[in-house]
Amino acid sequence: MKVKLFLASVFFLVFSELSYAQQTKTITGTVISANEVPLPGAEVKVNGKDIFDVTDFDGNFTLEGVEVGDVFTVTFLGFKDKVAEVTTSSNYSVFLEEDAGQLDEVVVVGYGTQKKRDLTGAIASLDSEELEKTPTANVMQSLQGKVSGVQIVSAGSPGDSPTVRIRGLGTFQDATNVLYVVDGTLYDNIDFLNTKDIKSVNVLKDASSSAIYGVRAANGVVIIETKSGRKNQKPQIEYDGYTGIQRAQNVVKMANAEQFVTMALESGSAADEQFVNNAIQRYGRSRVNPNIPDVNTDWYEEVLRDGIIQNHSIGVSGGAEKVTYSIGTNYFAQEGILDMKNEYERFNMRSKVDVDISDRFKSGVNVIFSNATKYTPENAAWFKSYFAVPIMPVIDSLNTGASPIPYSNAQILGYRGTQNPFTDITFNENRQKIRKVLATLYFQYEIIPEKLDFKTTYSHNLSAFEERYVNLPYLLGNNVERRSSITRANNTFSNQYWDNILTYNDQFGDHDLTVMAGSSYRDEASNNFSATGQDIAGIKLESSWFLNFADPESFNNNVSEIGRRFYGLSYFGRIAYNFKDKYLLYGTFRADGSSKFTKDPWGYFPSVGAGWVISEENFMEDNGVFDFLKLRASWGKLGNDNVAASDGSNTINVITAALGEQPRNGITSTSVFSDNTWEVIEEVNFGMNMEMFDNRLSIDADYYIRDTEDAILPVFIPIINRSVNQNSGVIRNQGLELNLNWNQQVSDDFSYSIGANFTTLDNEAISIEDERGYIDSGSAEFRQRTQEGGPLFAFYGYERTGVYQNQAQVDADPIAVENNLSPGDLIYRDQNGDGVIDDSDRVILGSFLPEFTFGGNIGVNYKAFDMTMSFYGQTGNKILNRKRGEIIFTQDTNMDADLAINRWHGEGTSNAYPSSAGLRKAWNQRLSNFWVEDGDFFRIQNIQVGYTIQSEALPQTRLYFTAERPFTFFDYNGFDPEVPNGVDRQTYPIPSVYTIGLNIKI
Amino acid sequence: MKRIEKSIILSVFTILALATTISCSDKLDTQEGQLNTGDLDYTNTDDMIDPVIGAYYEFATRGWEEPLLLGVRGDDVNAGGEGDQQPFSDTDRFIYNKDYWMYNSLWNVHYNDIVNMNTAILQVENYKEFAEGDDIARADQYIAEISVLRAWFHFNLARVWEDVFIITSNQPSTEVENGVASKAEVMQFIIDQMDMAIPNLPDARPNERTDIPGGVTSYTAYALKALAYQELEDYQGVADAAGAIINSGKFSLYPDFYQLFKKPGELSDESLLEMQYSDFGSSTGDAVYHLYAPFGPQNWTPERENASSGWGFYEPSMKFIKFMIDRNETVRLETSVLFTDRGIAEIENDGYTMPSFVSNTTPSGDIINDYARALFASGKHYLPSVQLTDGRNDYGAGKNMIVIRYAEILLMYAEAVTQGASATAIPADAAVNLVRERAELSTISGVTQQDVLDEKFAELAMEWGIRYYDMIRLGKTEELSYDGRSFSSGDQYLPYPQAQVDALPLNATPVDRNTAMNNALRQLN
Repeated sequence: MKVKLFLASVFFLVFSELSYAQQTKTITGTVISANEVPLPGAEVKVNGKDIFDVTDFDGNFTLEGVEVGDVFTVTFLGFKDKVAEVTTSSNYSVFLEEDAGQLDEVVVVGYGTQKKRDLTGAIASLDSEELEKTPTANVMQSLQGKVSGVQIVSAGSPGDSPTVRIRGLGTFQDATNVLYVVDGTLYDNIDFLNTKDIKSVNVLKDASSSAIYGVRAANGVVIIETKSGRKNQKPQIEYDGYTGIQRAQNVVKMANAEQFVTMALESGSAADEQFVNNAIQRYGRSRVNPNIPDVNTDWYEEVLRDGIIQNHSIGVSGGAEKVTYSIGTNYFAQEGILDMKNEYERFNMRSKVDVDISDRFKSGVNVIFSNATKYTPENAAWFKSYFAVPIMPVIDSLNTGASPIPYSNAQILGYRGTQNPFTDITFNENRQKIRKVLATLYFQYEIIPEKLDFKTTYSHNLSAFEERYVNLPYLLGNNVERRSSITRANNTFSNQYWDNILTYNDQFGDHDLTVMAGSSYRDEASNNFSATGQDIAGIKLESSWFLNFADPESFNNNVSEIGRRFYGLSYFGRIAYNFKDKYLLYGTFRADGSSKFTKDPWGYFPSVGAGWVISEENFMEDNGVFDFLKLRASWGKLGNDNVAASDGSNTINVITAALGEQPRNGITSTSVFSDNTWEVIEEVNFGMNMEMFDNRLSIDADYYIRDTEDAILPVFIPIINRSVNQNSGVIRNQGLELNLNWNQQVSDDFSYSIGANFTTLDNEAISIEDERGYIDSGSAEFRQRTQEGGPLFAFYGYERTGVYQNQAQVDADPIAVENNLSPGDLIYRDQNGDGVIDDSDRVILGSFLPEFTFGGNIGVNYKAFDMTMSFYGQTGNKILNRKRGEIIFTQDTNMDADLAINRWHGEGTSNAYPSSAGLRKAWNQRLSNFWVEDGDFFRIQNIQVGYTIQSEALPQTRLYFTAERPFTFFDYNGFDPEVPNGVDRQTYPIPSVYTIGLNIKI
Repeated sequence: MKRIEKSIILSVFTILALATTISCSDKLDTQEGQLNTGDLDYTNTDDMIDPVIGAYYEFATRGWEEPLLLGVRGDDVNAGGEGDQQPFSDTDRFIYNKDYWMYNSLWNVHYNDIVNMNTAILQVENYKEFAEGDDIARADQYIAEISVLRAWFHFNLARVWEDVFIITSNQPSTEVENGVASKAEVMQFIIDQMDMAIPNLPDARPNERTDIPGGVTSYTAYALKALAYQELEDYQGVADAAGAIINSGKFSLYPDFYQLFKKPGELSDESLLEMQYSDFGSSTGDAVYHLYAPFGPQNWTPERENASSGWGFYEPSMKFIKFMIDRNETVRLETSVLFTDRGIAEIENDGYTMPSFVSNTTPSGDIINDYARALFASGKHYLPSVQLTDGRNDYGAGKNMIVIRYAEILLMYAEAVTQGASATAIPADAAVNLVRERAELSTISGVTQQDVLDEKFAELAMEWGIRYYDMIRLGKTEELSYDGRSFSSGDQYLPYPQAQVDALPLNATPVDRNTAMNNALRQLN
């Protein structure tokens, strides 16, 4: 770009000399893409003169006052710049070529930018076009399956954020959030951002790229840039909106009344038989099968519904000579698929204005305000829908003790629990009002023009969560009464950042150098206040859903407030150097101080990188295959301060005991503590970028080894029965990432692209400083174990090899005799061959992290039509089907049809599932691969078909239809194989989404 | 102009950058929003009682499964039907499963509380360092109180698992490395601890204490000492310790056996150790409850509307009821058992004639309806719905749970004397007859050991597995093979929970307890 400008100005000088006496004139022209689509909004600027225009809807421009010999440059985002000369002609057609390689594209890196071709680390970039295909409130959802090395696990409930993991799982800590940097400000959560407002998302995958963010970068960094205006740009108004429905897919088929009764009778439990008879007495006999009650409730069908989703954005962006702006507003609304008040609504406003105060002095303000209301679901309803017996109706008119609605109550049939999920979804309402303001103000001054520049930025991120949980009163018969209560919680987060950055860049000879140094101060404060009141007067009216209507005595010990404040101070720097665009060197350093670690607050995080652009070497010239070829390697260190600070000392709780019928306050205190320091991640990355066959084929590959040193592990302290976090292990993630893309313009009317990406992940605990060499997690009944050489949080138990089929087989097996087994019980593998099945026969049954993930996309453009399809899949991950596993705690409830139908019920009926009686035996309830299932799946992720109306009477209008997640193929016995931590207990199902949309640009 | 602009900016930057460094770096060692032990003022001895109250709070905070699992294996009580919690019902039938969550929970919660007691003792010791005069004695008393509570946890653990860890610090890693102590060692530890505690404890009935009503006194320590001697079958030790309680003259049986287990009988003159619960008479707000629902009948028509029923997990056995009918028991049968019509019919089918006072309506007017899981429910864990605080519906809400009462002391004493110990207080006949008189039975004389055991069965059924541990101690395990159960040797103790075997130096198979490793560990101890 710079070189071009330089050449252009030389041209201009030469020609202006020659044509000194010529007269000015006016020229017109049209800017057209290679497939002859006019390009509106392209910038046309005469080099060296203050003459410019922006093309109108038909791609037309007019330049007044030019002279023959003047050179003008046409620039348009996503296309290569084109330079043309003014001749005697007064009408020009300028064809722009699509910038397929996009190597000159500028990528946002920490506290600055870099050309993509100069990168030495692993950074994946997505632009707005790719992001906008997914109908979602959270932009990270749109990355699913698109970026190798990044795992996105969808969240089903409206307004919830997906789980994002970059390059595996390197920590035991609960907070595995990636760091989001939105226009320079740090966030843990970006649920307030509207996808349409985002210009680009850059994922900094390797440690070298993210080390500049020090202790915040351990779980990866995602840099998000919002849209800005451009200078000398005519205002462009854009409307984009879609609306559609969401529907649960792959709904788990539950055992119907007949299957359930069969299981209950086969269980051999007299009580269960009695419960069935109670149901027959109460609800009558089925005419089809007189041995079952005349009720057959499919609870999932009862609690599910279709949800509406809609999104509308209007934005204006543009710029004058010294000012650019981008302002917009957005409304998003989504209903949940659980049939209760379960929805999310968000209204956003944003404004980004940059001003050149003088030639060297710039300033800007960026403000985003987001106002959302989220009604969260009662996830217990999913759980209960699985367990509620099908021999009970939703409404039981005989249940006269129930009010205000005569819902059924399983206790009346004899079961322990009430089971009916409708009490949860009808009588609970959970509202969260989420208001967030991000305000950033910066001043920038060029101390030495084009070379040395100073920028100071202050930003304040203020979030307020106002929560209200209302429990309406009800009676459910059998003396079940719930009284009214309201819990209110107000949480405020006030995070302030002040960054000062000095950047120097210079070119001399074949050398290109950028040096940056800066400091950052952060102050993160939060306050949480919550109170619960009971017996609300006038609870029937929402206008009385305030705590002052509660019984004042009920506040006793139900009020809490806590505040936290952390400070951080950092100094950092970056050097990027390249020689002849061929040899690249890169280094960063950060010193981070955090008040979370009072013992030793300072940590130091260096990184280096190097690259070799082979395609710039003389021997590669005119090779006909490679347009670009780069090898690169990097190393870096990161920290993780996202660990609980409270483990640093003994804490005290104030309790109330009842002594002599009087409440008496006392204290209890914890007895364990540890002095932790942050986890340190060290990573090496080797990568390669290739552009081949006229930039049609691009290949990016990366291999990395990422070690978490000093990993903070929850070391179990027996007797105290508590895990204490201690720096005591090394965790390794390593993998290969491959991205392939092919683009071809077949004819003026037809072009297509194909992309694919592959990710492998090997997640392993290298060492654990615990005498036993393993760390147990999960509950004692559903054990997850991390042992040296194995993956984190692996499911740990027995290996089922089959089912005892007949008495002869039982009698012949000493293990079966020893344990009093019967036909229909599971056979476990005697791993150590010692003739007994005991705890030493337990093995690693697999991890919830996928070993292999793949994604791909196909795009086709034909005349005014465009179509894209993407798919996504993963293999090698396991899911603990804890819905089934809960039978350990309560045996007499319902189960899925697969388990009921495929149970063992006679020789040869099943070699995988135990009998109904067997299901209740402790032998079969041990954690084994009977409960742990494969989570492999393949999914058609997104299909979008668009049509662009080409009519002069209308502004540029595109209609599109989107199907998000229309088909998922998997074997797992659950709604969806996307379970964030691999334990499927009450996971909100991920629905399919079908929308139609409209985009208008004026 | 440019020059001025530049210098302003540069100087502002310099000042700000400097200010940042100076004002912020000292904030790096600030932590806000958390109360730490370092924040306590140990010189203020008025606060010394706070960790003691905390210890009583922990003592009363019991999981619902703990009393159930401690008590279910005797011939006085059943687990109720199958279906829900089958491994619990298996345990009742001596089929043990070390993966069962209840075992692990009982172990964990008990040991966790032992550590909590140790931490509370340390807190008191911190105050003691700054204490003067009477406050030093007060500190010693508090430490003694907490030691008694800690002994009770050890006592339960050793009765359930035989060889268990003795933990006296809040950093137990060394004690864990020392390995498990034998049951006898645990009992001896309890006796030694009680001997140390007794001189420091108040010479009073628990309900006479005003600082902590119902708190531990020297007689609570004597009671635990007697229990530990009983496990050691050192009957003179039992007679001495129990005799000290009897000779104090401070204790008497609460006249109304039925109300003893209800609100009127809370903190009576009979009580030596009691877990206290209350909602302080208020219909809303904070309440300290135990979850009694597992003890309750699954279906009832309460006298006071909207009182919740229970789960039916603790069923008095037919054997016990028949035993009581045969003895012509009245108030103790009526108090111990909640009858359903189905249960009454089952007993009558076996040729028994029900006493006239038996019906499915309790003396307090609650009607127990038939339910599938069980025929009867425990009356000693039942609070009449009319005694619930208005607006409170939980089963048994706010009812205390008696842990050790004077009747048990009398009968322990009597048994010890019949076992050959010399009577240090009243004669054995007198001790048994005190209990019988309250039960509206005629006095007997020349009591034998069997008479005392029958009296214990009738008096203390459903309470904390007293019956089961008596039968184990005396080797009368044939009593435990009833109603289709078959007790075999090796069934006395539960297997160590799998989760603990994974975490601790334990060997957990009940058939092979004498491993080289455990022996070595025992040697070390």
